[in-house]
Amino acid sequence: MSGFSIDRRGLLGTGLGASLAAGLGTGASAANPAPLAPGRTKADFAGAMKAFRGVVGAEWVFGDEEAVAPWSKTYIPDPAHQYKPVGAVCPQSVEEVQEIVRIANTYKQPLWTVSTGKNMGYGMTAPATPGQVVLDLKRMNRILEVDADLGTCLLEPGVTYQQLKDYLEENKIPLWIDVPTVGPIASPVGNTLDRGVGYTPYGEHFMFQCGMEVCLPDGRLMRTGMGSIKGSTAWQAFKWGYGPYLDGLFTQSNFGIVTKMGLWLMPKPPVYKPFMVRHANMEDVPKIIEAMRPLRVSNLVANCNLMMSASYQLAMFKRRNEIVPDGAPLDEASLKKAATANGLGMWNTYFALYGTEQTVAGVEPIIRATLTASGGEVLTAAEMEGNPWFHHHQTLMQGGLNLDEVGLLRWRGAGGGLAWFAPVAAARGVEAERQTALAKEIVEKHGFDYTAAYAIGWRDLHHIIALLFDKADPAQEQKADACYRELVTRFGAQGWASYRTGVNSMDLVAQQYGEVNRDFNRTLKRAIDPNGILSPGKSGIHP
Amino acid sequence: MLRVYGGMIVLALAGPVAAQQRLGEVQAPRAPEQVYAKVCGYCHGRNVGPILLGRHLPAETVKYVARHGQNGMPAFRPTEVTPAELDALAAWIATAPARKEEHGQ
Repeated sequence: MSGFSIDRRGLLGTGLGASLAAGLGTGASAANPAPLAPGRTKADFAGAMKAFRGVVGAEWVFGDEEAVAPWSKTYIPDPAHQYKPVGAVCPQSVEEVQEIVRIANTYKQPLWTVSTGKNMGYGMTAPATPGQVVLDLKRMNRILEVDADLGTCLLEPGVTYQQLKDYLEENKIPLWIDVPTVGPIASPVGNTLDRGVGYTPYGEHFMFQCGMEVCLPDGRLMRTGMGSIKGSTAWQAFKWGYGPYLDGLFTQSNFGIVTKMGLWLMPKPPVYKPFMVRHANMEDVPKIIEAMRPLRVSNLVANCNLMMSASYQLAMFKRRNEIVPDGAPLDEASLKKAATANGLGMWNTYFALYGTEQTVAGVEPIIRATLTASGGEVLTAAEMEGNPWFHHHQTLMQGGLNLDEVGLLRWRGAGGGLAWFAPVAAARGVEAERQTALAKEIVEKHGFDYTAAYAIGWRDLHHIIALLFDKADPAQEQKADACYRELVTRFGAQGWASYRTGVNSMDLVAQQYGEVNRDFNRTLKRAIDPNGILSPGKSGIHP
Repeated sequence: MLRVYGGMIVLALAGPVAAQQRLGEVQAPRAPEQVYAKVCGYCHGRNVGPILLGRHLPAETVKYVARHGQNGMPAFRPTEVTPAELDALAAWIATAPARKEEHGQ
């Protein structure tokens, strides 16, 4: 242990050797074993686990609490410790998935399906209801096809964005990927199924999905689109197939297990030019959105662009107590001072131009004129080279990989608490102005900070609020839970519901979308999954 | 099947060149340097997580923290970093020298 220094960003090393079993702030605990699913006995569970071992081998079935710990870690507020799996089973082939599903039906053992399980502030691999065994598809990580001419690929769920990017680079295929913020360790299939969003012109991930293979709750395999036509060459080229469009049923749902997915990949453009627009004041929100909307709707700006607040930006690479003392509110003057010192405005809007020298040169003056008129400073790599925040977005907007935003987890204390709240509105300045005011009022009432961004999609606005708290502090976790529920409830009352949510709030959000919608989902669920074995509780859909 | 898989681990870790992913095949076992570059090194030594290299961290500590995720760090499951990969990674981190280019903020 000589030369062992205590780093200010972590307590790595402080008596670790002696306290390995004590939990270490990792969320693991031996005191409360996870409960079984309702109505299931220990014998049912043991029977299912034994049968699973017969399929994937004993080394890929995990049942005791210590072994399941890697599937139990979450960032979300969970003061009652209720989001815990009871086991994990990890197949490596479609046939193994089918066999596991048949066993789960026999023993009525619910399975919570995950691909890479790295959705961070949405619950990672933790299930929405008690007693579920995680069906971990990470070992199914085959890149099945890449078509360099059509710009398509066919992937298994365990493939990460890193694997796909490495494959494209190693084989000199000039196609880009489109990443969510935690690209290296996240799955294109998983993120697309959760209808995640990225940063390039292919950022609305589900829009660029094409064809699926799905293991149904009875163990049969179904292919969507053109996939079930023998000899078709268009499974990854034509989205719609014939009859009702089915692919949407398998996103944010629990109607099947997607075992293969087709995606479209963007051809690498000859010219990529990233921009940042710096606005000086919190009140500039509506002006930015009003200026950006016509550029997005007309597709002059082709990528999903991010309007990052100063506090969100600073939270990535700084700690709160570097800006204000512990216990003090995060006031606007201190924020502005820290932002200015780091080359940031109170709002920082990132977008890029993609095309040829001629098209970029043709579009750039139009965009500059519009955004300058909104009161922003339009900046490029010429002015911002070396700035870590600019570099972060410059990387993401060309499908590059980093994990910079994991830094958000140490903004406040050491405990690593994060819940994303992401209400949707139409892309109108006035709505954003009202949303920012409401969000600030609620989070500050509970003692938290407004660390947020707006993603301007095409015609929509995702308000992406990172509720950051110290999960090592039980009182703060309790407050974060209450704060999150108030955010969902009060935004919902204004007509702003979430586009996606964590396991801690799936029922709450589903209720906002109405009883008719819930009934419809429940009717489907009961018809195709009568034993209720696939991910009960996902998106508020219960058996 | 399992014996073949075990054999692949030995081969990959002994080889000097990182195995590339082949179409239609699962990811081959990765050497410690590869796992570090493609997973750990995005945070550790790049502003986000504490520096690990050159600190002689005990291998058992590295393994425990990787599987449980300390504080703001996510947990990494045996499906993401296999037991054999993690054993080799932890031993490598325990002895690897510091890197000048790594930094914290």
